[in-house]
Amino acid sequence: MFRLILQDPEVYEIDLLGSDEAQLVKISQDLGLNLNLDEMKRIREYFRKIGRNPTDIELQSLGQAWSEHCCYKSSKYYLKKYLLGFRPGYVISTSDDAGVVEFDEEHAYVVAFESHNHPSAIEPYGGAATGIGGILRDVVCMGAQPVALADPLFFGNPDTERERLPRGTKHPLYLLSGVVAGIRDYGNRVGIPTVAGMVFFDESYLTNCLVNVGCVGIVRKENIIPSRVGGTGEIIILAGGATGRDGIHGVTFASAELDEKSEEESRGAVQLGDPIMKEPLIHACLEAVENGLVSGMKDLGGGGLSGAVGEMSLAGNCGAEVWLEKVHLKEEGMKPWEIWISESQERMLLSVRPQHVDEVLYIFSKWDVPARIIGVTTEDRRLRVYWEGRLIYDMDIEFVSAGVEYCRDYRVEKRGSEGEDEVRDFGNYEEIIMRMLSHPNVASKEWIVRQYDHEVRASTILKPLQGVIGFETHGDAAVIRPTESMKGIAITADVNPWMTSVDPFWGSASSFDEMVRNLVAVNSHPHSFVDCLNFGNPEKPERMGEFVESVKALGWMSKEFGIPVVSGNVSFYNETPYGAIAPTPSLIGIGILDDIRDAISSEFKREGSAVILVGETRAEFGGSLYSKVTGIESLSVPKTDPERLKNYADAMLSAFRSFRIFACHDVSMGGIAVALAEMAFGARFGFEASLKDFVELFSESNTRWIVEIDERDALDFIDFMSERGCRAEKIGVTGGDVLDYGITSLELDAAEEKWRKGFSRFLG
Amino acid sequence: MEKGIFEIFGVMSMEPDEIRVGVVRIEGTNCEDETVRAFRMLGVFAEAVHLKQFYSDMIKDGESRSIWDYSCLVFPGGFSAGDYVRAGAIFSARAKSLLRHDLEMFIREGYPVLGICNGFQVLAELGALPGFDEDRPVSDKPEMALAINSSSRFECRQSYLKHENRGKCRFTSEYMKDEIVVFPVAHAEGKVTFPVGREKDFLNLLEENDQIVFRYVDSEGNYSDYPWNPNGSYSNIAGICNVTGNVFGLMPHPERVVNPWQHTDWMRMEREEGDGIRVFRSILKYLEKL
Amino acid sequence: MKYTVDVLISLKKGVLDAEGEATKKALRLLGYKNVERVSSMKVFRIELNAKSREDAEKMLREMCDRMLANPVIQDYEIRWVG
Repeated sequence: MFRLILQDPEVYEIDLLGSDEAQLVKISQDLGLNLNLDEMKRIREYFRKIGRNPTDIELQSLGQAWSEHCCYKSSKYYLKKYLLGFRPGYVISTSDDAGVVEFDEEHAYVVAFESHNHPSAIEPYGGAATGIGGILRDVVCMGAQPVALADPLFFGNPDTERERLPRGTKHPLYLLSGVVAGIRDYGNRVGIPTVAGMVFFDESYLTNCLVNVGCVGIVRKENIIPSRVGGTGEIIILAGGATGRDGIHGVTFASAELDEKSEEESRGAVQLGDPIMKEPLIHACLEAVENGLVSGMKDLGGGGLSGAVGEMSLAGNCGAEVWLEKVHLKEEGMKPWEIWISESQERMLLSVRPQHVDEVLYIFSKWDVPARIIGVTTEDRRLRVYWEGRLIYDMDIEFVSAGVEYCRDYRVEKRGSEGEDEVRDFGNYEEIIMRMLSHPNVASKEWIVRQYDHEVRASTILKPLQGVIGFETHGDAAVIRPTESMKGIAITADVNPWMTSVDPFWGSASSFDEMVRNLVAVNSHPHSFVDCLNFGNPEKPERMGEFVESVKALGWMSKEFGIPVVSGNVSFYNETPYGAIAPTPSLIGIGILDDIRDAISSEFKREGSAVILVGETRAEFGGSLYSKVTGIESLSVPKTDPERLKNYADAMLSAFRSFRIFACHDVSMGGIAVALAEMAFGARFGFEASLKDFVELFSESNTRWIVEIDERDALDFIDFMSERGCRAEKIGVTGGDVLDYGITSLELDAAEEKWRKGFSRFLG
Repeated sequence: MEKGIFEIFGVMSMEPDEIRVGVVRIEGTNCEDETVRAFRMLGVFAEAVHLKQFYSDMIKDGESRSIWDYSCLVFPGGFSAGDYVRAGAIFSARAKSLLRHDLEMFIREGYPVLGICNGFQVLAELGALPGFDEDRPVSDKPEMALAINSSSRFECRQSYLKHENRGKCRFTSEYMKDEIVVFPVAHAEGKVTFPVGREKDFLNLLEENDQIVFRYVDSEGNYSDYPWNPNGSYSNIAGICNVTGNVFGLMPHPERVVNPWQHTDWMRMEREEGDGIRVFRSILKYLEKL
Repeated sequence: MKYTVDVLISLKKGVLDAEGEATKKALRLLGYKNVERVSSMKVFRIELNAKSREDAEKMLREMCDRMLANPVIQDYEIRWVG
């Protein structure tokens, strides 16, 4: 079945034409292609037409290109149908590795968001670090300077008993420590601040932790570099680290369920990063861009050279010729197919006009970054790969890149009807609030945040921890000043998996609502967002149903509220024999501030000022912290309405222009009870409120904020809001050393202690 | 006033437009942009310069530099060479093997050399700090270390610092004695450590020579433990200068707080400018006054 | 002659080993209550050519003095491999 056609290094021809169905399946397995029978038959068909058998490097290339991770075969039908397509004029580009959106007249911001789940579950430190490396490259290859990182993380419960861990599963705290260290060591070393993120614990992540990483960059509009070649006869340069066996089959690995054996089998699939190669690589790429020497640039992500060369050439309506022996290698004896699909880190592919080649190579050598000419672009849309003059790969790029697309069956499961809601008043508010504050999903994440350098670049204006120095509290969004002007970018990361697991549609809509609330709370105008859609096995209709419901909700909210999704990523197969993850559409929202000095932080500023609740509170407890803490089932996930949200957001932002607002915080997990407490912790004084029942205390209804304002302005503010059809009411005043909710009260110090230690107690 | 070294060596004073600041980078330094920006805010010329530009043949003519092109050198924050081996060790070993002679002369002639965070680590590894010997401003072996934080973790937080220098340090003339300021720290290896058993002697000498510049304090201005002393530094030391006052190293980052809104608590506290800008202004005043 | 050596860099007595302490704590949290002391060390395996072993040792000591160890907090030890 395999015939050697090149001796040193070895290249095989594979007898596809003479294979029956069983043999096709076996070939796919033996070569680790992860392609199913139908896909293998399509490939056989293609080669039958050409009239020859494929080589191993050709088949491996197809295995990469047609993997879920690279071609979104299960998701793109529904993404196009429901989510994508809304594109206001200020969106510059969404087609490449990252979204590019207008920032001001001269600049655009660039956003990218990706999952790095499976590698992190196997080797948390390296997996997370390479995730950061990859997302930085996605931004840099657009010609942009990265300015901020954001990373939502999801793990099993921290108090999971070790005896209860399924075989082959690592403890959530081990994973968390490794992931945080990986992000810290990589992000800090390259000098890009990690300013936002979230950490969420839930049983469903026990065997599938999620590591999502996002990056925001800034670029002068004339320096935006497309991920395509500029035309025929351009020189293809591979710059950065050497190519090794690391990452081989990373893509196919990310597209299959993990099982017990994954650990041993997959070690080779986790890439190793080198931030000290990346940092000069960023400098060198940006210097070449700055000098106008680069026609196109693309990072070597999933699929390595195989993906990057093909996609870049095709996007430029060209073909390419590659001389594979020119690639510089980490280890001897690598086979051509391994070189071709290796996912070694810190590499970038550049397309450069012949007259600029010397200058580009000079810049790289100045930064001690290796760069080699490895090919040239051609007129036809074919890709040919040579090894010392011998042709070993010759395919139409379109056939490879177009991939496959499925319209997978899905089933939306109804989880009971809303009449069955068990929610009731358990009394005992003081203890419930204490349990909420010390819940690891609510408690202070200072242990993590302080390990990330969130201030490098000196542009983090609203930091992830806000308030009195030494006693900071959580903010709603970080604010970055990316250029020399006063204009700012707000960044927030949100999703509520408890809600999405009860109801994927309303849970996803609620996550969107929360993202908007957070952006508005810091006084930024919601502008765009990116998503990282993490789900289980798409071949199972009920998982696909969760995905479709979630995408429908996000599309609806996005289009009706009026902010576009500009980039994103889908990660399926977050599922093991022990179960699938809660549907996790994590979102990163981007807001714009005209002047960073208008930013509003979350902690109370003055004793004796008015505390105002904006929005309406209903008995909505589905997926709420109250339901988790009291152990009740509730199916009524908070509803929202994009038009209403828009109206509230607009009213809030114009109120912020008309009134001096001291503080603002969104109401989310744990309801008003938690929101008020967090505002007090960062101020070192409490409040006196007049809440009347458990619904007011704990409901997690959407579209609500707490605002602190001068007592004398309170009535005018309330009028201002109601004139715009928005509800606002004074619920208390600030001051004192007690968290006095009205219906119950707690000592500030004791509550704060619970909140500060609720998460760090697991880590010592 | 004691006799300034410039009077001895006769270096001339400078006009603001004659001042040139070089922020020295290698792979992994990552605070050079904001450091350059801090100087430019004050209207002087500053640029990031790669160590290679001082010696390598491959550098194009227009891009090659000499130490003597600059009137002030800064070793910026970051993770030079990945902080592999030990924070600052590789950068300082390279700088020492290439530039020791020039650097010693530069310091002896009174030009200011600043090291922030990783730059402080570089100056310590280089032997330029504590810098007790006026005639040998770069010692053969390091005489202090910036060890791993007592918490064993990277810490990013804004710290209160008390300015304790009595006038020796050229980089803090714009701060009052005992004034309390806030600069951020962000490091994993910042614990000021002197040779075991000789800590007291070192401390006495530093105090006698007026080489202590900043100490970590709590929000009340008192010496305190973690987290106020974020790394467990001996005697709460955050920054020191050499015996002639023209080499200064500190773990906290003045370049990150040159504007009011870069402070964590900028919404709680009115400031005319960021607390850190005066470090840079002090340098310029020193160069202009010579 | 080609030599292979391990250069061990350890903390001097009396210098707090924060990494070792944190590791000890973590190991005890994992249930290894019998762990009494953990010291962190760094090892560089160096392959070098030298005229003689004495010559190699001289060079290695120089490397330690110039870069690999900071004498204020660290000791080094040279171990010949194979």
